[in-house]
Amino acid sequence: MKKKILIEGMTCASCAMNVERSLKKIEGIDEVGVSVLTNKAIVESENEISDDELKKAVSRAGYKTISIE
Amino acid sequence: MEEENNIENLEIRTWKKKLVLSWIITIPIIILMYSEMIFGIHLLTSSVMTLVVLVLAFPVIFIFGFSTLKSGLKGFTTLYFNMDSLISLGTVVAYLTGIIQFFYPIQNYSGISAMVMAIFVTGKYIESKARGRAGQEIKKLLELGAKNATVLRNGKEIEIPISEVKIGDVIIVKPGEKIPTDGIVVKGESSVDESMISGESLPVDKLKGSPVIGATINQDGILYIRATKIGRDTFLAHIIDLVEEAQGTKVPIQKLADKITSIFVPAVLVLSVLTFVGWIIFGNLNSAIGSAIAVLVISCPCALGLATPIALTVGSGMGAKRGILIRRGEAIQTMKDVKTIMFDKTGTITKGKPEVTDIKTYGKIDKKEFLKISASLEKLSEHPLSKAIVNYANLKVYQKVTSFKVLRGKGIEGIISKKKYLIGNRRLLEENGINLSKFIQDIEKYESEGKTVMTVSEGKKVLGFLCVADSVKEDSKEALQILQEKGYNTVMITGDNERTAKAIAKKVGITQVIASVLPEEKSKKVMELQESGFVAFVGDGINDAPALKQANVGIAMGSGTDIAIEAGDIVLTKSSLIGVTQAINLSKKTFGKIKQNLFWAFAYNVVAIPLAVSGILHPVFAEIAMALSSITVVTNANLLRRTKI
Repeated sequence: MKKKILIEGMTCASCAMNVERSLKKIEGIDEVGVSVLTNKAIVESENEISDDELKKAVSRAGYKTISIE
Repeated sequence: MEEENNIENLEIRTWKKKLVLSWIITIPIIILMYSEMIFGIHLLTSSVMTLVVLVLAFPVIFIFGFSTLKSGLKGFTTLYFNMDSLISLGTVVAYLTGIIQFFYPIQNYSGISAMVMAIFVTGKYIESKARGRAGQEIKKLLELGAKNATVLRNGKEIEIPISEVKIGDVIIVKPGEKIPTDGIVVKGESSVDESMISGESLPVDKLKGSPVIGATINQDGILYIRATKIGRDTFLAHIIDLVEEAQGTKVPIQKLADKITSIFVPAVLVLSVLTFVGWIIFGNLNSAIGSAIAVLVISCPCALGLATPIALTVGSGMGAKRGILIRRGEAIQTMKDVKTIMFDKTGTITKGKPEVTDIKTYGKIDKKEFLKISASLEKLSEHPLSKAIVNYANLKVYQKVTSFKVLRGKGIEGIISKKKYLIGNRRLLEENGINLSKFIQDIEKYESEGKTVMTVSEGKKVLGFLCVADSVKEDSKEALQILQEKGYNTVMITGDNERTAKAIAKKVGITQVIASVLPEEKSKKVMELQESGFVAFVGDGINDAPALKQANVGIAMGSGTDIAIEAGDIVLTKSSLIGVTQAINLSKKTFGKIKQNLFWAFAYNVVAIPLAVSGILHPVFAEIAMALSSITVVTNANLLRRTKI
């Protein structure tokens, strides 16, 4: 599974790291790439991870999810 | 996509608005403060002045800085600290000194707090503009697609938004118009400018049956196109996805910087407290406050955290413009260690469009009959060599073939009118116990001309040969020469026999040839070469996927929609070996920029933070330095564009 998350509120490199750290805590997640330049996180995992879970991880780090596709 | 662009434009506009408003208020504060400090002019009595500054600074910190404070102070509850946490704490503490000094004699930093915030906002504005510039090529890709299409429905031409085009719709594209989506020409002839997709400057001729790519521009004739792919499935959409995904991939060299970035803010918070305590013990309270604030506002994880991704963005954007797609950031670092470049022959060094050059028959079979049998058998195979024969024979009616089998890397077999035929290379015939010794001289003659010889047999009897040659791409020789001059070891690998392979290799100036390799063995050969250093593999990405994966850097190439875009670390959308030299060049230049950026980012923090701790730097200068550090990194990355690829 591969999902693209559009995120609002990442203002700097450490924000991207925060989101990355939080997403990595989701169980079963294989790869996380967050770019402050595109305001996007791309996650990959073997099993399906629900949008809710992803949203929760983004907001745990203090940011807002705009869309997931 | 529009959503994304909006976020960015909104961001730049918001920073600009905050910038203007912040300075409108901050400049009077500066005049008030410094006219007194420098010229000794007392415009106001000191307590009135403090009040005025507090009132003026309030909106700068708490209104224009609201989003920064909100984002930063949240870190203290979630423990996910960011850059804003530092600025928030620094400015709020500085502001509070203005209130505290009414009750306790300490230095008043409230005016300073407004200046720090105003500089911060200015820095953010410049940085967001520069960041926008860094991604300009990628943004252009997003805007490349057509907005509308003229389709033929119920015999009428109607213009509809691109989102309403369905697969199978016939689209009319007039000269000068953008082809709206991927499709196949059903009527008309024209040439099409595909440079935006492939970087290839020459227009490509299109006629009935030709595939066309959405977003390319029709030049001179009217084309009727049947849409084959729409929306997220189009070639352009795939390219955009790929380039975007690459942004989030990591270049190994940034690992340390990322590690530092992730603990940077908490570490600075601790350092700031230590600085405060240290100055109280060994100095005085006023210096303690000033230094602690300076530490907070000078420290910026942005330069470190942005150093790599911003250069990668500029580099991949430059590549995308030239038909070079960097799929994985790691490839640009690995590239510098590559010693050997291995090229697949067919479709990489050669055009991949083989044509029949000679036919030789033995015994009483006539050429027509010979071709009829051959083409009927080859019709059932998808191999490019088979297609060459089928095209050449151009039969109206094919003979019925039973028990057809493709023998990968060898040839084909099948039965026509109860007779068993084999068509293939020497290995195939010899394995079937057919003696070729009588024909070997003829075979070798054709092979040494760079032709691929396929022997046709009926039972144990050899009927004749079909010779097929694949011409070399115009710039293959030049590209290989450039690479050899740069010191790369170049190797050609092919399933073809040694003699044919060597003849082609000679034409392009390659000395090392690995021939007669079965498709599944290619990755093993890569592995063998890897024993003596890093290997890059250049192939079409369809048959070579395992070899591309095995290589340290896999470069997949192809023309137009034929390309397997998911294969390889780097994908070339133009079918030219010069693309390989450009890709290598671009990787090296981009990596060089990353190293430069990381050096400056590390150097900045190593020098600036101790200066702030020692109290030498006033918080205002600390903030200016901070803003400059991230602007420098982004601007330096943008300078990559000046290098020639």
